[in-house]
Amino acid sequence: MTVPAFVVAARTMAYLTQRQEVIANNLANANTDGFKADRITGRSFDELFPEALASLDLKQGAVRDTGRTLDVALETDGFLVVSTARGDRLIRGGGLTMDAAGLLVDQDGNPVMGLEGALHIRGARVEIEPDGTVVVDGARAGKLKVVQVANPATLVKEGVGRFIATEGTIAPADVRMRQGALEDANVDPMTGTVDMIQIQRAYSTNAEVLRVLDSVLGTLTSDIGRV
Amino acid sequence: MSDSLRTSASGMIAQQKRVDVIANNLANVNTTGFKRSRTNFEDLLYNTIQGPRRVAGDAILGPIQIGHGVRLSSISRVEGQGGVEITGRPLDLGIEGEGFFQVELPDGTIAYTRDGAFTLSESGQLVTGAGHTVIPGVVLPPDASSVTITETGVVSVGTGTEGQTVEVGRLELVRFANPTGLLALGGNLMAETVASGPPAAGFPQEEGFGRVLQGTLESSNVEIVQEMTDMIAAQRAYEINARAIRAAEDMMRSIDDLIR
Repeated sequence: MTVPAFVVAARTMAYLTQRQEVIANNLANANTDGFKADRITGRSFDELFPEALASLDLKQGAVRDTGRTLDVALETDGFLVVSTARGDRLIRGGGLTMDAAGLLVDQDGNPVMGLEGALHIRGARVEIEPDGTVVVDGARAGKLKVVQVANPATLVKEGVGRFIATEGTIAPADVRMRQGALEDANVDPMTGTVDMIQIQRAYSTNAEVLRVLDSVLGTLTSDIGRV
Repeated sequence: MSDSLRTSASGMIAQQKRVDVIANNLANVNTTGFKRSRTNFEDLLYNTIQGPRRVAGDAILGPIQIGHGVRLSSISRVEGQGGVEITGRPLDLGIEGEGFFQVELPDGTIAYTRDGAFTLSESGQLVTGAGHTVIPGVVLPPDASSVTITETGVVSVGTGTEGQTVEVGRLELVRFANPTGLLALGGNLMAETVASGPPAAGFPQEEGFGRVLQGTLESSNVEIVQEMTDMIAAQRAYEINARAIRAAEDMMRSIDDLIR
């Protein structure tokens, strides 16, 4: 009976460690534009110890004006598409820039896709309309491609703000974006801090359980055996 | 758990960088034509413990991924208009709207500036405060008694006592598709880069260029209230990451205490 209790306490502590790591990452990224928080919740497995269940919080972050021409923030669900060496990736807008060839690229130099391929934006004035149409010096240069995923659970984070759509994308229901603006991370530092305190307490409680079990086992093996 | 320590430490380092940039913005609150900078962060790579998986009933469980924190991805300049400060000095030229003046550096390369606190060289050439020639060159004749620069950049001088004015040149402005891509050289000068794109020249108040205002200077676009608010936010974020380190450390200690 005591041995499963050991396992339960240890597995619970492993789960709490994972939650703590995820919250630490959310808090570290509280000022990363376009960052989407991860959530780990526990699902009871045979009602003994919790099994980690992850989900991505795609809630809209606050959009703030920056006044920088190539900052783009999406105000609806969906993602812009960038073409990387390893395939298409999804981003939530951000501080875009222009490369040597005059293409619209992300911070890492990956071209941002329009409906008809990469967008040439060399010119004196670049305007991005709410529906994604890109106008350079009064002439239409293309339209930013926006996609959505049917199920957010199929999104995998690649880091540096990029997502991988593991099961393909669908057309977005509605597109609205803002030029000269960025989307804040959707991390709530207050909730994160409170969760962290609870995890810390639950962890030390489980450690205490382990200690008690250990002393019970010690009694069993050394004292009772001596009689 | 030690991963979590590094994650939180990366958060503290990021906030420290943010404070560094804010400090520079605040230090330049009175620098003519200065544009504030801002920090951009990105999340680091993720450790995927389990990918997305299908379970009974065709439901999909999300991937379990643990991130490793944050890093500074770039520092970008914010090209907002600074306030127009009236100085009354005839060779102070503020730009209201888009555009940069071009100046020639001693090595022959061209740099760009919005600091229009110009002066005259010995030969009457229009130069910057640091002595760099303004391009296209404007030379004021030695007998000039007054100088007038219109909002469209036409420079004319009054000569002699008859009150006649003679046009001696016209100032040009340039602009860039991505002005935030310009490289700051210090001394209020910027250089062209692949990110900024090549300059497109034009006259003030034409084709969307700004206007030149004689007797004014463009003040820094740093707003103290904004910087102070950002600084408070950075400080709080720093503290929260420090708190996360304490939490992780406390959890590690619970384990330590088990082994006696």
